[in-house]
Amino acid sequence: MIEAVGANMLLASASGADLPGVNDFLPPEILFQGTPFAINRIILIRIVATILLLIILGITAARAKLIPGRWQGLIEYGMDFVRNSVVYETMGELRGKRYVPMITTLFFTIFFFNLFGVIPGANMAATATITMPLVFAIWVLVQYWVAACREKGLWGYIRDECFTPGVPWPVYILLAPIQLLELVIIRPASLTIRLFANMISGHLTVATCLAFAQFWMIESSNKMVGVPVGAAWFLGGIVMTLFEVFVAFLQAYVFSILATVYINLSYPEAE
Amino acid sequence: MTFAASKGINLFIPKVYDIVWSLIILAIVAVFFYKFFMPKFNAIFDERAEKIEGNIAKAKKAKEDADSAKKKYEDQLNHARVDASKITDNARSEATKIISDAHTRADKEAEQITSNAQRSIASQQQQAMVTLKSEVGTLATALAGKILGSKLQDSDVQSNMLDDMIDDLDKKTDNTK
Repeated sequence: MIEAVGANMLLASASGADLPGVNDFLPPEILFQGTPFAINRIILIRIVATILLLIILGITAARAKLIPGRWQGLIEYGMDFVRNSVVYETMGELRGKRYVPMITTLFFTIFFFNLFGVIPGANMAATATITMPLVFAIWVLVQYWVAACREKGLWGYIRDECFTPGVPWPVYILLAPIQLLELVIIRPASLTIRLFANMISGHLTVATCLAFAQFWMIESSNKMVGVPVGAAWFLGGIVMTLFEVFVAFLQAYVFSILATVYINLSYPEAE
Repeated sequence: MTFAASKGINLFIPKVYDIVWSLIILAIVAVFFYKFFMPKFNAIFDERAEKIEGNIAKAKKAKEDADSAKKKYEDQLNHARVDASKITDNARSEATKIISDAHTRADKEAEQITSNAQRSIASQQQQAMVTLKSEVGTLATALAGKILGSKLQDSDVQSNMLDDMIDDLDKKTDNTK
């Protein structure tokens, strides 16, 4: 059965199901073409997402009451989650207080942007180009370097990380470049690529399921086989959509907690 | 395949306008969170915490007040109880004293009355004796007159009469006594 479906899949893709591809993430510029303010489909989604985020949270904050309603309770639950489960759990309240607004910003923004991957009409996460996660990651990079310079001094930080005291000196030959690479490139790159790739794969999975559902149920000539197979693909699409909602949350959570951990690593060990 | 691969690498090359927009959006979102969203909610959280703490403090104070009032009342009640028993004791001893006083006074009065009565009886007796003696004298004189008047010769008769008279008198006084 699986083989048959596999074969049919190949056949289907060969005969023209509208499968998603890399081009989905490289849409043409539709406004201000050629200028530094050019807008393509994903950037448009991002702008709309930003406006919606500001409106929704802005209204929530403006109307915030002492005794919260359901919606305010949900938002407060999210803030509480970021503050306690992400920031304070990782770096403690004393250090963490300074970073609560930053991590809250990251969490809420990334989560909301990610959700656009499953919002009909958008079907593309607002974080689904390399740049948006990269900008977030660079913000984290700046924060943990600033924290390090403040707490240990620039040289102190580099010495602690790259020439860790207590390690025999020949190891430094290997350790120092790796650590330096880690501090400057790998941390932000891993943050960026993890989020970006998750959004890409999520879009590809959902879009593939729906494309095959469309192809089998509507375009296929053999309805006897096509409808059940297409229905299975459609069910898969629903499941993957729900999974994408989970991934949207999970990636926001992972990004926030890693940002917190990286910043916390800039502080001296001894409390 | 080479086409797809060359396209694929494009995914990882940030475009200038993408960087511009991403930075703008990050700046807007960050300013929104830092300047509006977080302070607003923190104010709400603080106010809520304050209110809850205030209520707890208020409740604590109310309880303390109630406790102190209760203690005061209990103290007062205890005082009152002690006072009451003291008053009862006093009253009881007072009553005993009054009764004993009354007893002694009554005894004294009774004694006095008795002695007064005795004295008056004695004086009356004396008076009676005096009167009697004087009457006896008068009677004797009268009798003597009578005797002298009715030519009594017989001394025996005379003495008999006198004796009778005195007997009579004695009987009379005994009767009056």
